[in-house]
Amino acid sequence: MKKILLSTVLAFAMVTTASAETLKIGLATAQSGGLAPYDVPVVTGLKIAVEELNAAGGIMGKINIELIEKDMRSDVAQTIIAVQELVDAEVSVIVLPCDADPSLAVTGIVDEAKIPAISTCASSPTLPLIGGDFVFANFPGDNVQATVSASWAYEQGYKSAFILYSPDTQYTTLPLYFADVIKALGGSVVGTETYSLGQPDFSSIATKIAAISPQPDIVMTSAYEPDFPSFLKALRAAGVTSQVIGSDGIDSPTTFSLGKVGENVVFTTAGHATKGSELEKFNALFKQKTGKDSDTVFNAVGYDLIKVIEAAVISAGGSTDSQAIRDAIAELENVQGATSLITYKGTTGMPVRQVSIIRVKDGERELVGQPAPVADLIPAPRMQ
Amino acid sequence: MISSQKQQLFISIISICLFGILVAGFASFFGSVSERVVSVFFISLIAVVGMGVYSGNSGILTFGHLAFMGIGAYASSLLTLPVRIKSTTLPALPDWLATTELGLLPAVVSAVLLTVIVAAIVGIAVNRLEGSAATIATLGMLIIAHGVTIGWRDVTRGAQSFFGVPRLTDVWVAALGCVLALIVARLYRDSNSGLKLRAGRDNAIAASAIGVKIKRERLISWILSAAIMALSGALLAHFLGAFSPKKFYFTDTFFLLSMLIVGGMTTVTGAVTGAVVITIVSEVLRRHEGGFTFLSIEVPTVFGMTQIGIALIILFAMFKKAEGLAGLKEWEERIFPIKRKITASEASKSATKNTKTASLSATNMTMQFGGLVAVDNVLITIKSGEILGLIGPNGSGKTTMLNMLSGVLSPTKGQILLGDKPIINANSAKFAQLGIARTFQNIRLFGSLTVWQNVNIAALSTNDGKDSDLRTKSAILRLGIADLIEQDAGTLSYGLQRKVEIARALACNPSLLYLDEPAAGMNPEETQALMTILSDIAREDSIGILLVDHDLKLINQLCDRIIVFNEGKLIAQGTPDEIRTNHSVREAYLGRNYKQD
Repeated sequence: MKKILLSTVLAFAMVTTASAETLKIGLATAQSGGLAPYDVPVVTGLKIAVEELNAAGGIMGKINIELIEKDMRSDVAQTIIAVQELVDAEVSVIVLPCDADPSLAVTGIVDEAKIPAISTCASSPTLPLIGGDFVFANFPGDNVQATVSASWAYEQGYKSAFILYSPDTQYTTLPLYFADVIKALGGSVVGTETYSLGQPDFSSIATKIAAISPQPDIVMTSAYEPDFPSFLKALRAAGVTSQVIGSDGIDSPTTFSLGKVGENVVFTTAGHATKGSELEKFNALFKQKTGKDSDTVFNAVGYDLIKVIEAAVISAGGSTDSQAIRDAIAELENVQGATSLITYKGTTGMPVRQVSIIRVKDGERELVGQPAPVADLIPAPRMQ
Repeated sequence: MISSQKQQLFISIISICLFGILVAGFASFFGSVSERVVSVFFISLIAVVGMGVYSGNSGILTFGHLAFMGIGAYASSLLTLPVRIKSTTLPALPDWLATTELGLLPAVVSAVLLTVIVAAIVGIAVNRLEGSAATIATLGMLIIAHGVTIGWRDVTRGAQSFFGVPRLTDVWVAALGCVLALIVARLYRDSNSGLKLRAGRDNAIAASAIGVKIKRERLISWILSAAIMALSGALLAHFLGAFSPKKFYFTDTFFLLSMLIVGGMTTVTGAVTGAVVITIVSEVLRRHEGGFTFLSIEVPTVFGMTQIGIALIILFAMFKKAEGLAGLKEWEERIFPIKRKITASEASKSATKNTKTASLSATNMTMQFGGLVAVDNVLITIKSGEILGLIGPNGSGKTTMLNMLSGVLSPTKGQILLGDKPIINANSAKFAQLGIARTFQNIRLFGSLTVWQNVNIAALSTNDGKDSDLRTKSAILRLGIADLIEQDAGTLSYGLQRKVEIARALACNPSLLYLDEPAAGMNPEETQALMTILSDIAREDSIGILLVDHDLKLINQLCDRIIVFNEGKLIAQGTPDEIRTNHSVREAYLGRNYKQD
């Protein structure tokens, strides 16, 4: 009797494992609110990758991906609720929003549930560092981006910088890393100002910058929409002609449609579609699937995210167990994504990825370069 | 059969406990999803009932109470946050705080105490304001608190999310907090302070005139409600594990206020009803919203659906039930009404006969409203045990005089002596404490309170509340309204309302009683009965009565002495007979061309 019972249980267990050819991925991303301009394109790209994979029979030709979507409305409390619901739904991987702040709010939950969580495009290196073993990012880190842009600026002969940052979020403090690097290189920071997210008027800051003599070579900020366009307009209106350097937050159609004010702005981001690149291939795929041109790199970043998960599942031997997937992600090396090669091995969860420097030229993107940062220059991640 | 307040409260408390246990039990039976919904419900309900303690009882809507919730959340979280996390996320904390790591209970208690201190300081300022000015002040408070939270980066992490808080609030902890908050709110509602405050809400002038110190009661409820909000905030912080200043700002204020308004803010029943309705509606809409997100890309249009739904419910409630779904009464007050009997024998025990008989004299009384001199240099005395009539044509300054003599208005000039002591700088509450009670020309009862409560509040607010029940009973018996005591004062007929007002004034155990047109609206039989009562009061209790009325028959029959006003001046005084034949009185009433036959 006991034997029969045991074998029944075993048989049942085997059946369930055999039929568990679905990988549940839970999305807690911003489909509305301030983060939506980033998370919406990421999720679009992510869905293209899922569709492509599932059409080919799934990961390893057998594991279909099922997406469970929640809108966290760019709100911390909603993120917590959404992630808890995803944990309840027993997903294997959770995708967190593009900003470190709401993502940090749920690190305790994913850590307790032992489910790996990957932020769509948060670039704060502190997120995976403080978030613990189960939290990963999917974007070049702020400190790496700042190192790349500061090194480039210094090489161009731009040695004095004015930095504008906001202490409101981790990401908007990126210019502080920039300041560290430019100083380490021998340049100087001639002024620092702070702003609040959604600040209505930047004219007083612009006037202050205009009054600096001699004028700074660079004005560096990681402000994004709607702050960046208003700041830039105020800055140019005040007569400041310094080189403006931004970061990935302004890799959006808005930046390219600002006309004359936007011209010559330089920023770092996750990739550029050079001839024959993976990104070019992705953009073609995007056009084919959606009928539209991909107008931001965040589409490709979403595609990358699924590629990372796919690689992890494969290296975990086809397991959909969340712990196994987490361990596999932490050991991934040179995963080919749409934007670049992606490596997690040897990091705290902030992937090593290529950084591209882009210039706005005639309302189009122009690749300035894709230099590898000097490792010694990269500032250590820190909470701001 | 419920025969006392205590039994009614007992029913209420038992049912609150049952409610908490059953809802939490159901939630944990159905698993973690329902546990979380119910935990949020409990925590919201604590906040709603917290706002209700202040807004419901004082009648002043608050927009600012989420500030206290925020203080509770941040303060308790700073105490429970693991030292390890503090050192990375809040490196600039003072040492004593950086090295503190408490359990949930001591952290919550400390946070509540801190909030109480803050609330007391803020409350002293806010409570100087009345009505909508106070409401706007609470809004200002919310904005200031939000600004401070964002600006105080070293402690709050500014606008960034405050995370890493141990998630210690489960559904049972939330239920316990909720039951506690509901019981405190329910008990406060019918406490002496709560009753007095509700009297002040229904009619501030009348409440003050029977000795209620409204600002004091308001401050008590303000502090108590802040403490409950802090509890809610602390539990919320330890439920979510992370939050940002946005959590304690307009969106959630709107959400919680909608619960309060839809349910009805004057009762605990209303708070529960509102929280249940809004929670169900928003959960349904939110899930629907999620479904929409999945199928359609039109997210922004769906995004506001929860808010729009709630706003529609508020609109519906305002049109159909402006006092909220639960109305003005607790459910147990409707289902188990108190059946109190007052017997004559009980009232005869009323040992507190009026001992502080005193006469009043007011000299040089002058009241100027801009250029208009309403009362001009009048001297008036009222002796104990006498009934003094005050008559005069409309607009002759009678009510103004009464208002000056009872502290409702402070005179431009003049001095009032009670016995041989001057009354200086006194408001009407102080006059009531000194033994001067009054009624009003346009009836000022506490309409939503019962007759018993109306009278009882007067007894509680004077003589330090000594023998208040006895005084209440004897005043009620005296006016013959013993069978009305459990009815709402606002629902009575005009004549009965007059009687309740007199009973209420009598319950103050006054040495002087001012009656402003007590017989207005009464039929001749009622008037006759009233006259008997009044003359008994004056003779038996040696109370001096100042009677203003247009019913000259009543005045003539009842008064020992009559004074006559015209155009703010005292034109005659004397016995009824003397007044009847006084020339200037006739002139005042009938005009200069009046010729005697």
